[in-house]
Amino acid sequence: MAPPPAYQTQRSHSSSPSQPSGKSEVSDLKLQLRQLAGSVAPGANDSKRELFKKVISYMTVGIDVSSVFSEMVMCSATSDIVLKKMCYLYVGNYAKYNPDLALLTINFLQRDCKDQDPMIRGLALRSLCSLRVANLVEYLIGPLGSGLKDSSAYVRTVAAVGVLKLYHISAATCIEADFPAMLKHLMLNDRDAQVVANCLSALQEIWSSEASSSEVASREIDTLLSKPVIYYLLNRIREFSEWAQCLVLELVAKYVPSDTNEIFDIMNLLEDRLQHANGAVVLATIKVFMQLTLSMTDVHQQVYERIKAPLITLVSTGGPEQSYAVLSHLHLLVMRAPMLFSSDYKHFYCYYNEPTYVKKLKLEMLTAVANENNTYEIVTELCEYVANVDIPIARESIRAVGKIALQQYDVNAIVDRLLQFLEMEKDHVTAETLVLIKDLLRKYPQWSQDCIAVVGSISSKNVQEPTAKAALIWMLGEYAQDMADAPYILGSLIDNWEEEDSAEVRLHLLTATMKCFFRRPPETQKALGAALAAGIADFHQDVHDRALFYYRLLQQNISVAESVVNPPKQAVSVFADTQSGEIKDRIFDEFNSLSVVYQKPSYMFTDKEHRGPFEFSDELGNLSIGESADSVIPVERVEANDKDLLLSKSEKEESGVSGNNAVAYSTPVHDASSGPLVALDTQPVAQAPQATIAIDDLLGLSFTAPAPAASQLAPPPLKLNAKAVMDPGTFQQKWRQLPISISQAFQMAPQGVAALTTPQSLLWHMQGYSIHCIASGGQAPNFKYFFFAQKAEEPSTFLVECIINTSSCKAQIKIKADDQSSSQAFSDFFQSALSKFGTA
Amino acid sequence: MSGAASALFLLDIKGRVLIWRDYRGDVSAVQAERFFTKLIEKEGDPQSQDPVVYDNGVTYMFIQHNNVYLMMATRQNCNAASLLFFLHRVVDVFKHYFEELEEESLRDNFVVVYELLDEIMDFGYPQFTEATILTEYIKTDAYRMEVTQKPPMAVTNAVSWRSEGIVYKKNEVFLDVVESVNMLVNSNGQIIRSDVVGALKMRTYLSGMPECKLGLNDRVLLEAQGRTTKGKAIDLDDIKFHQCVRLARFENDRTISFIPPDGSFDLMTYRLSAQVKPLIWVEAQIERHSRSRIEMMVKSRSQFKERSTATNVEIEVPVPSDATNPNIRTSMGSASYAPEKDALVWKIKSFPGGKEYMMRAELTLPSIRSEDAPPERKAPIRVKFEIPYFTVSGIQVRYLKIIEKSGYQSLPWVRYITVAGEYELRM
Repeated sequence: MAPPPAYQTQRSHSSSPSQPSGKSEVSDLKLQLRQLAGSVAPGANDSKRELFKKVISYMTVGIDVSSVFSEMVMCSATSDIVLKKMCYLYVGNYAKYNPDLALLTINFLQRDCKDQDPMIRGLALRSLCSLRVANLVEYLIGPLGSGLKDSSAYVRTVAAVGVLKLYHISAATCIEADFPAMLKHLMLNDRDAQVVANCLSALQEIWSSEASSSEVASREIDTLLSKPVIYYLLNRIREFSEWAQCLVLELVAKYVPSDTNEIFDIMNLLEDRLQHANGAVVLATIKVFMQLTLSMTDVHQQVYERIKAPLITLVSTGGPEQSYAVLSHLHLLVMRAPMLFSSDYKHFYCYYNEPTYVKKLKLEMLTAVANENNTYEIVTELCEYVANVDIPIARESIRAVGKIALQQYDVNAIVDRLLQFLEMEKDHVTAETLVLIKDLLRKYPQWSQDCIAVVGSISSKNVQEPTAKAALIWMLGEYAQDMADAPYILGSLIDNWEEEDSAEVRLHLLTATMKCFFRRPPETQKALGAALAAGIADFHQDVHDRALFYYRLLQQNISVAESVVNPPKQAVSVFADTQSGEIKDRIFDEFNSLSVVYQKPSYMFTDKEHRGPFEFSDELGNLSIGESADSVIPVERVEANDKDLLLSKSEKEESGVSGNNAVAYSTPVHDASSGPLVALDTQPVAQAPQATIAIDDLLGLSFTAPAPAASQLAPPPLKLNAKAVMDPGTFQQKWRQLPISISQAFQMAPQGVAALTTPQSLLWHMQGYSIHCIASGGQAPNFKYFFFAQKAEEPSTFLVECIINTSSCKAQIKIKADDQSSSQAFSDFFQSALSKFGTA
Repeated sequence: MSGAASALFLLDIKGRVLIWRDYRGDVSAVQAERFFTKLIEKEGDPQSQDPVVYDNGVTYMFIQHNNVYLMMATRQNCNAASLLFFLHRVVDVFKHYFEELEEESLRDNFVVVYELLDEIMDFGYPQFTEATILTEYIKTDAYRMEVTQKPPMAVTNAVSWRSEGIVYKKNEVFLDVVESVNMLVNSNGQIIRSDVVGALKMRTYLSGMPECKLGLNDRVLLEAQGRTTKGKAIDLDDIKFHQCVRLARFENDRTISFIPPDGSFDLMTYRLSAQVKPLIWVEAQIERHSRSRIEMMVKSRSQFKERSTATNVEIEVPVPSDATNPNIRTSMGSASYAPEKDALVWKIKSFPGGKEYMMRAELTLPSIRSEDAPPERKAPIRVKFEIPYFTVSGIQVRYLKIIEKSGYQSLPWVRYITVAGEYELRM
């Protein structure tokens, strides 16, 4: 569609000079259109078409032609489909900015929705739904309803998406008219595959945004993921268009099969999809395979082997953008299981003309797959890039070589290579290499002799980049005793103190001079004096402070100063990893999305209202963690904070303190109880029960059953671990993998329901029975909890989803267990624990 | 696909919006244009050229085709790969309509472009991208309105890529087997990576609903049939088929059977990662005489059978960027200095197998180099060639049967060709 008015003026200047920009042309058009409006003369349609085309191209290049609105509408009272289309286009463009005009067109569009030509019916319906004018929604209901029942598949496909459009204009209207139910019926029965696909995408979007507020919707989502629906769609997969296949496969990836046979059935059925010409289908299939086999380690590995070839082919065919997208996914897999790709390293070699973004990914993969057998070849290849290609890639390549060295393979040869880089005498290469040698030495001090000999010969004048300079200075200080002229190099650097822009370099210079001084006092004394003087006079606060600090330390006692500035160091064994495993898992769960390309989970780059279809896999997503579901923060927060909460919990804990029961939450108590969520392995949960009681007393819940009572309640067969811990990621994964072993609904005691004023009151109570909550949420009357418990003597766990409806006093639980045999015992225990809630 | 796209933009080479379709109304064209023009200005900076970029809550994904950028914008966590594939498909659709997709063809066809954008995607969800099917929805001016509109058949048809009632006077099929060789040789003359990507490209001009069956010298199939392999049988590594091929059937008994779409399409692609001998070998000796002169001797050799001939061979030998006054002699073909590529380009029209040709060149270098000149980039030698009637893999079409219920005779034409893909020899 043409851009909005503000933008139009700007565009009209850039369009070619032959195009009119004045008003006269538009009024001319208006006149001509008016003359033709009623004409039925032969050839009238042809001239109309020409005029319409003119209008459309004016509109596109940014000339305001909204003044011919009524003429356009008049002229399109014809059966000529080309004219109609152009008119719809025109109307769709201007209706948004002129709601009054839009009202004019409603009649005409509604009439066309009943046309005998299905093309016109479909097009009119699409235009009608695309008007996006809120006060016109009432006119949509009729045409949409009949559109969904239309005899032509084309109209039905349009109508299915139309319902979704209506939902976005006015959700309430859409729900009231019961359209979702109609879509569902259509999805399960229509014989046209595209209709089914559009119903599916519409339903996913509608229900996932409804799910936060309506239980019906979240149950509908469960239905979508139920066996009958999934099987129905899978059985028809070959009928779908390639894009619709992707949609279905995306859904299947979230399905939890009940047993391994089912997994194999699905995989066999989809096997041939890996040979589809469309890369999107192949990737979607891969996702299904990966997700289905997550819990079956050996099969999972086979899947890796199976998908390798298609992925590698996809990378080498098609444009660079496509290879980039596919490589990003391959990158993710390589990072997860580098050893499985270690023999395919040659596929990650770069060609000269490949774009930088492709090369970068390839370099990272080469680094990841390096092992004892291929390191030599990989490093040789990387060295080629250092010499050959553009500067950013040369740098990346050096870093890659360094990373491989830090992974401990063949360090010996690599150090030699790195030293050769220094001999290339290219500034950027030298700079990057110095930084790496510094890191290497921190990990392998034993190489110092070799490195120092070479590093010592580098003229500090050739090193300009601050990080490289800092690295060089660090080495000068650290190995002062081995480098003959270390004090003098430092001295000359200090002489140029004024010209040194980087504070980091100056800080390093101070420290290095100190270290050098301790080893070779007579030679360095003068330099140190100059350094301290310059440092104290420095305008940079940190530099100034450090210089002053050193100065006073030295005044105090030189040996103490040495032990502070230059204590014996231990070699670094592992450098801090930049990305946590949890984040990586999350990205993996979002396989086949932008997350993979950005290498960050979606919550880091999407805002809440655009987070897209509800991720079914994250049942926890809809809830918030532990006590963060406090009453101050209303529903919208609960629905919004979803997944990221699982990761960024700590700051949320703080906010949980306020609210109507704020008095009760004294800080230490709060910390103890949130232990299992925040610092899973550091905070002992043992005190939790006592703490809990204290709170409940304060709250006036008069709850007295202390933890020991739990063991009396549940005699020996089932003892639970009071200190059980589990992180949300594991919980989610388990929840997805395990089948439901017990699903039950029962009546709750009224006093229990009465005590359930806020979701967290139950958490304290259940914790007394060694059943821990991992996430909770909801608002009266519906509360939803996820609990877990662990057997005392073995690592077998139970997972529980518990939904409590306070108005009907009903509780619904779903239990999943590692050890199915004991789940009944656990269920009884859980129910009895729950029944004690609120009673004294 | 998870998530829906918000809008599709077609932009000119400077990043200005030519035409766009707003699917969900949650991105602004002004913002997109502002962002994208800025992005293009930064062209020199290779770090910022990712085809997927994020700005202020919106992700932009783009590809370039001729002087047009196609860009998707979305606010959701979309399926990036899928949308990029989609964009490439959109290019194919436009090409089908306008022969070539470029700024001019878009400007000439605003109306059709709008119509197409409307049918390929609805509310951010991809719909139909088969050009032959779209033709039924969209009547360009070439298709005048004649008969009454029938509802598009494809939608109700079991075969979504072909419509019924196609008639040709002469029924013909052209099948091109194209293999492209990727080769990477390091400076020591070792092959460090080679693979072959093959495609069976088909153009069909057949009436009705023809049923086709293709037989290849596929080892798995031949062995399954218990035939002693007379000729060469080949192992195909990773095969991908056009959606018209019955994949289940292939899984079962390796038969390639299909009802083809009308017109041209890629029936199948495959890859061979077997080590391939470099078909054309190039060696360069370079002598630098002090700082003023550079002398090169380049030898090229064809390492395939004598009965084949490579055509349109183009060998690109890199030279220092500040070299001047080239003096070139060749034993075959012609060579010229291409300063824009910093290379000598040696063209040989016809290069029979088992031959060796030479090129000598002398270039002058400035005696003084500027201090801040960029460090030299050592580029590889790059080779382009075509070898008709020859495939590296030895793939052979044993038969192509076409059966239509009307029983017409049809003519299948098969051609083979091998071309150079990414073919690099490092110096």
